[in-house]
Amino acid sequence: MITTCRIGLLQLADSAPVLVARSMGIFSRHGLDVEAVVVPSWANIADGLVWNGLDGALMFPPLAIMTALGQRGRAIGLRPGFPVSRGGNTIVLRGQKVDHTEWTAQADKHRAFENWKNTLGRKPRLGVVHLYSTHYLILSRFLKNLSVCRDTETEIVIMPPARMIQALAAGEIDGFCAGPPWGADAHLKGLAFIVAGSASLAPGHLEKMLVLKEIWKSQNPDGPARMHAALTEAIALCHDPAHAQDITHLLSRPLDANGLGLPEEAVKAVMPGSRAMADTMMFGGQNGQTGAACGWMIEDMQNEGWLPAPMLETLRTLGWYDC
Amino acid sequence: MKVLLADENSHRAGALARLLEAEATLDVILVEDDTSLIDAVRRHAPDIVLVDISRADRDALDSVRALSASGLERPVALFVDEDDESLMEDAFAAGVCSYNVLDAPVTNVKPLLRAAIALYRRFRNTNAELEAARKTLSERETIDRAKFLFMKQERCKEDEAYRWFRKQAMQQARKIIDVATDYLAHQNRNPKQ
Repeated sequence: MITTCRIGLLQLADSAPVLVARSMGIFSRHGLDVEAVVVPSWANIADGLVWNGLDGALMFPPLAIMTALGQRGRAIGLRPGFPVSRGGNTIVLRGQKVDHTEWTAQADKHRAFENWKNTLGRKPRLGVVHLYSTHYLILSRFLKNLSVCRDTETEIVIMPPARMIQALAAGEIDGFCAGPPWGADAHLKGLAFIVAGSASLAPGHLEKMLVLKEIWKSQNPDGPARMHAALTEAIALCHDPAHAQDITHLLSRPLDANGLGLPEEAVKAVMPGSRAMADTMMFGGQNGQTGAACGWMIEDMQNEGWLPAPMLETLRTLGWYDC
Repeated sequence: MKVLLADENSHRAGALARLLEAEATLDVILVEDDTSLIDAVRRHAPDIVLVDISRADRDALDSVRALSASGLERPVALFVDEDDESLMEDAFAAGVCSYNVLDAPVTNVKPLLRAAIALYRRFRNTNAELEAARKTLSERETIDRAKFLFMKQERCKEDEAYRWFRKQAMQQARKIIDVATDYLAHQNRNPKQ
């Protein structure tokens, strides 16, 4: 019997395993008919899960956690999903690297940031893909490390990753933290330079999980196991540099040709095995990681005041938090 | 009550505005092109915002409450009716949702949302019909092109060409349009001199 599943995802290179499993017939070999639903923003992922538009989604833990807790609509008790990718996020700032050599040369990064800020003539506007994202937490850590006060010295602007390049070019934002390949794309287009990323701020952190709705799991008791088996195969292909070229082509195909419409050169730069960047993507989880892998995120989210004590208890019950 | 409509489909936005303006107590405003949702909310200070869910910039409204830098004095949040799940499911399925100002006087949003759902559904159906009509047209065109090419290649009449395609389709248990598409692709790759 064929099991159908609607998986929501965004135009990001780390969505690769789902696209690869679909286009190479891996899902169908495991008896799954997967529809990859490309949505325009993270709000659509959360709403799709809450109001029955999707059976599952590729998403980062903070949004899955806040959706599970009913902070975006009704609580739907999402549990931790299958780890699909690690790292790959980059922080970029407006300008050319050659004009900002102090970022690499100078030990005093706070000074470097101040000098950069002065070239703007306004409070820096920094784009993040969603409030409840790994990107927001990573950017917050970055600013804190520089002794820059996020809330008073910068302005955080929320917009979907695929909009960042246009917003940077139009002067709406002065930098951003986003998933692959958008940081690489900004750098290759000469719009911005890379200052930090997952690798320097939270090495190897869990980025995307495949979260499945509990109701889908109960309706399809062997669905999760088949899904995991299919994704494990696809992840192995994505992680192998021998397939990087084919996967780059697949991701760069237009949306209406089963691709993701991503900029090809930028995708090439972030594929595993590429030496072009510090923050290349890594696919798959680390052994035995789920709950513990989210530990730093939950800690940071607590510090943001998003998770009062009763919510922590719920998270523990759902398996997000083991301490 | 001030209602802001955020929909890049100007036909649909206009139709929804006319529908809502029939209610005299509503002051309906459309988000101008090239204005971000958050800027429009800042400028017009509405009580309710009806949003096309495919608008990529609605994530910004989601985060208003938590971001001090949003510059909005009146916080807004996604409207959720926990007691009426089917209304919420219908809204997202139709492609529309509502953001409400949290400190505004309590108003009944449901009739507004219901009106928007009905209108979005009507637009979706019309679009589906249009799409189907367009598809039929382009299929007709493909079959004609294949037929004429076949007539030229095989020096035969139109009804004979059509019969050939129909026979192929029946033998292969496929649609005529698929046989015609394959025939054209094959001829493009191997043009006869």
